[in-house]
Amino acid sequence: MNSKINPTFFVACQQCDALYDKPQLKQGQLAKCNRCGSTLIERKVDSIERSFNWSLAGLMLMLPAILLPIMGVTLAGQFHQASLFDCILVLIDRGFFMIASLVFLFAIAVPIVRLAGALYISYSFKFHKLKPSLLNFFRAYHYLDNWAMLNVFMLGIVVSMYKLIDDTELSINLGLFAFVFWLICSTMSAAALDQDYIWDKLERAFPRNCANEHS
Amino acid sequence: MNTAKSKGLALCPKCHKLNSLQAEPQQCSRCHGMFYQRKHNSLQYTLAWNVAALIAFIPANLYPIMIVYQLGIPSDATILSGIGEFIDHGLYPIAIIIFTASIIVPLIKIIGLFVLVYKAHTGIRLKPNKHSKIYHILEFLGPWSMLDVFVVALMVTVVELGFVTSVAAGPAINYFTITVIFTMFAANSFDPRLLWDKKADKKTIEQALLPSDKLLENLLGTLPEEKGQK
Repeated sequence: MNSKINPTFFVACQQCDALYDKPQLKQGQLAKCNRCGSTLIERKVDSIERSFNWSLAGLMLMLPAILLPIMGVTLAGQFHQASLFDCILVLIDRGFFMIASLVFLFAIAVPIVRLAGALYISYSFKFHKLKPSLLNFFRAYHYLDNWAMLNVFMLGIVVSMYKLIDDTELSINLGLFAFVFWLICSTMSAAALDQDYIWDKLERAFPRNCANEHS
Repeated sequence: MNTAKSKGLALCPKCHKLNSLQAEPQQCSRCHGMFYQRKHNSLQYTLAWNVAALIAFIPANLYPIMIVYQLGIPSDATILSGIGEFIDHGLYPIAIIIFTASIIVPLIKIIGLFVLVYKAHTGIRLKPNKHSKIYHILEFLGPWSMLDVFVVALMVTVVELGFVTSVAAGPAINYFTITVIFTMFAANSFDPRLLWDKKADKKTIEQALLPSDKLLENLLGTLPEEKGQK
């Protein structure tokens, strides 16, 4: 086959493998595939600044969102309230290890790791402290793409509130607001991170680490 | 239309860099990850996860998912009877949300992936444009079926008033989470590019068949070899 093509001048669609010349984009522009309509390359506006700020805010909101009680229930004169952390403790206490670990993974661990990862990456770009280890780090970051389920958990909270509002007295606590803001921050920090830009920059910063194929 | 595959290139699934394909698995020159030109054994993996998910979906619907103790007396509810209770109480929006999230979405995902695997394998009535859109919808829907699990987890924690009322999770919850996670694995291991490959393959074969009926007989003999070369 034709092996003289230099792959750096082309992009391929991730969804249908169509091959295009690499477009030169300004901030805020995006290129779409002609054949299947999915996004080829996107240059996001102010990517590093934004993801740095959103992920910093998210990490600050993390503790109140996890530790403050989300909602409370009053039934027959008894009051009981629970936070996200209580949720896991109670589930372990009563022997439901599988749901406990799932809630811990998808609603606490993965979002925290993703926020911290986004913060670390945007921090090293913002203050020009690039290291070759970032290549591996950013690749590992992508493994968690599908597994943050804060938004599903939020809908879960809404549904269980509907369930409880019928025959109990329900009170909403500060934890819920902290959780909502935490959800917004983690979504925005993931959305603001410009992958193509970061990979391009990393490749240019460490040509020696990246060029083992072309030598 | 040129594809990366036809030019001997391969796209790294993690960092989206084009590499010239020299070996399978190829090591990406940018992020050093190992990858294949198409997801390795994509259809087989998808099918296997899918069958496992379908099997786990049966006990998920038969066993009770939530057990409510009122004054020490247990009353258990399966996914479907829980939805029935909502309808009895007149909470239609919640009934619809739960029904879509925990019955329709997993079923649609499992059936949809079966259909996609079948179409990608045989190429019968394949419309890559439409089918890759279906795939994206399936992929997007994936995590939302975890809704029921989170609701049960929250109910168990919040409604914990000792003897008066308490909620326990039933055995179905484990099977249900297994179903959801397996369908997510299935969707992740499917490669939509196979749909386009198959279509392109079929087109070249059809074009080869078009010219005349006399050629057709000659070509039919050589067809399998031609296909094998690609």
